[in-house]
Amino acid sequence: MKAVLAIIKKEFARFFRDKRMVLTTILMPGLLIYVVYSAIGAITQSMVEDSAQPVVYVQNMPQSLETVLESVLEVREQTVSDEEAKEQIINGDIDALVIFPQNFDGLTVSQNVPEVSIYYYSANTTSSSAYSVVVSVLNSYEQQIANIFDINAAQDVQYDLADSRSVSAYVLSMVVPMVLIMLMLSGCISVVLESIAGEKERGTIATLLVTPVKRSHLAVGKILSLSAIAVLSGVSSFVGLILSLPALMSGSGVEFTLAAYGALDYIGIFLVVISTVLIFVGLLAIVSAYAKSTKEANGLIAPVMILAMVCALCSMFITSPSIGLYFIPVLNSTLCIAALMAGTFAVMPFVITMCVNIVFAALLSVLLGVMFNSEKIMFNK
Amino acid sequence: MQDDCILKVEHLTKSFKLPLKQQKLEGGNKIKVAVNDLSFTAFKGEIFGLLGPNGAGKTTTLRILATLIRPDGGDAFIDGVSVVSNPYGVRGKIGFLTSELKLEDFFTPNYLFDFFSELHSVPHDVRDERKRTLFARFGIDKFAEVKLANLSTGMKQKVSIVVSVVHDPGFIIFDEPTNGLDVLTAKTVTDYLAELRAAGKSIILSTHIFSLAEKLCDRVGVIVDGRLVALDTLAALTAQKSLEDKFFDLYSEAVGGRA
Repeated sequence: MKAVLAIIKKEFARFFRDKRMVLTTILMPGLLIYVVYSAIGAITQSMVEDSAQPVVYVQNMPQSLETVLESVLEVREQTVSDEEAKEQIINGDIDALVIFPQNFDGLTVSQNVPEVSIYYYSANTTSSSAYSVVVSVLNSYEQQIANIFDINAAQDVQYDLADSRSVSAYVLSMVVPMVLIMLMLSGCISVVLESIAGEKERGTIATLLVTPVKRSHLAVGKILSLSAIAVLSGVSSFVGLILSLPALMSGSGVEFTLAAYGALDYIGIFLVVISTVLIFVGLLAIVSAYAKSTKEANGLIAPVMILAMVCALCSMFITSPSIGLYFIPVLNSTLCIAALMAGTFAVMPFVITMCVNIVFAALLSVLLGVMFNSEKIMFNK
Repeated sequence: MQDDCILKVEHLTKSFKLPLKQQKLEGGNKIKVAVNDLSFTAFKGEIFGLLGPNGAGKTTTLRILATLIRPDGGDAFIDGVSVVSNPYGVRGKIGFLTSELKLEDFFTPNYLFDFFSELHSVPHDVRDERKRTLFARFGIDKFAEVKLANLSTGMKQKVSIVVSVVHDPGFIIFDEPTNGLDVLTAKTVTDYLAELRAAGKSIILSTHIFSLAEKLCDRVGVIVDGRLVALDTLAALTAQKSLEDKFFDLYSEAVGGRA
């Protein structure tokens, strides 16, 4: 036990005394995610706000549509020929040319099918939005005059029963498991490869192997300390992500309320994260111990990454998982996180997940200890 | 000669698998025998030298004694403890020094001394006392808080020596002790080995440098191609001619006899 503590202390000293490592592994990921996502949110928001009203020419403006069209478009008097107007559209001087037939209103009443032409330039954002605005106005007008039935027509009834809390819970339950898994994995990769494959490559791990420290203690010490560091890295990214979500989503119309979750939800997620990180660190440690160098380890971890990705993706498609799925490590973590975010948390799957993950991580650390004992693995060059 | 035996090597054998292409070159031989039925004994308080050319199996033998690798056959007992059945017991008794075992560049000599003391469960007061003595002996006190990365090769070697004896082992295994060191540092190392012997420690070292063996060793085992071809006191081996000439005789005898 003393040896395990000594190993953990050394790994922490190695990490936390190295300002550069702390900066790149813990502070940077969260900060970067926060800054980048907030910036993306700010940019999309400003795009939504800044979009100027499209400028259009309208020929034979029907009375029935005049008010609607003029409220969403800037209708300008056409002083040039149609050909010149099309030229202006291409040059971006105006955005569209809408030609109604004469007596459009009369024709629609008399069951004739009049034709409306809209000239626009799809390679220009404002022009194509002018086009879609006109089309949607015309479509809704068409439904209005040939009205057979109405859908959700009452003004004062809220038909979507989901409040903004449940909407954000749904969106988060889709997004968060995936993002969390990837963040955890990248946090683990950066510390584990360096500490195991790196130490093996530099010959410093062999020095530990001639001391009376048990191989299993060395493995446990490494896995625990590296997991703690990886969790910190993951938490940093997670906090960055959560803090940037309101800004990121502000343009999408979904209001994010993190207050939807209580302390218990967050504790649950945190426990799942820890158990998953233990597994990732164990898997990556085994790959690293097998590899001859950090470079080789970097190549060999591809299968681990793919498996993690698959598990993360699965949680998006499995909406009502059977209890058996919770016996599969990592997949159970993503399902648990999804359930916690969606507010469909149940105790049994959570308990199974924690037990399975911890047992699996323990098996991995036993395997790592066995590998540390193998001269073929530790001394192959 | 002392009667107490500290190291007893019995029929030690170790072979490695050859790569496929090399197997073809060697006419279908699948393995290379690195250590071939090696037996010898070393006594308490002496410096035992394993002498041999590059590739003779010296390093492999020492690695087996240090419990880093397991022999295919045979066994070795250090102070009565088997390297095969009780490697953990052996590790607490030995200090192993080789250029292959490195220390982490990031840490200072002071930190590393404490860390390895912890791994060997050395009590703190003993550790501090020992650290003071050893650091003063090797002049490490002057750079005790400088990261290893910023030290010269000689300084690093001194730190390695000090760290390998944090637990005051009775038996020290030293692979090529002066390789890559300048004459001054090499002298510090050889002087220290002599001091250890004077303090009653037992040492086994491997070398291909005859002058070093002549200067330090009490008894010498000569190995060629994994086989022990001579084992005697230095005095007996060098009775008629220099160790180097004697070695050439032994070598041509061994290689000639086999061919």
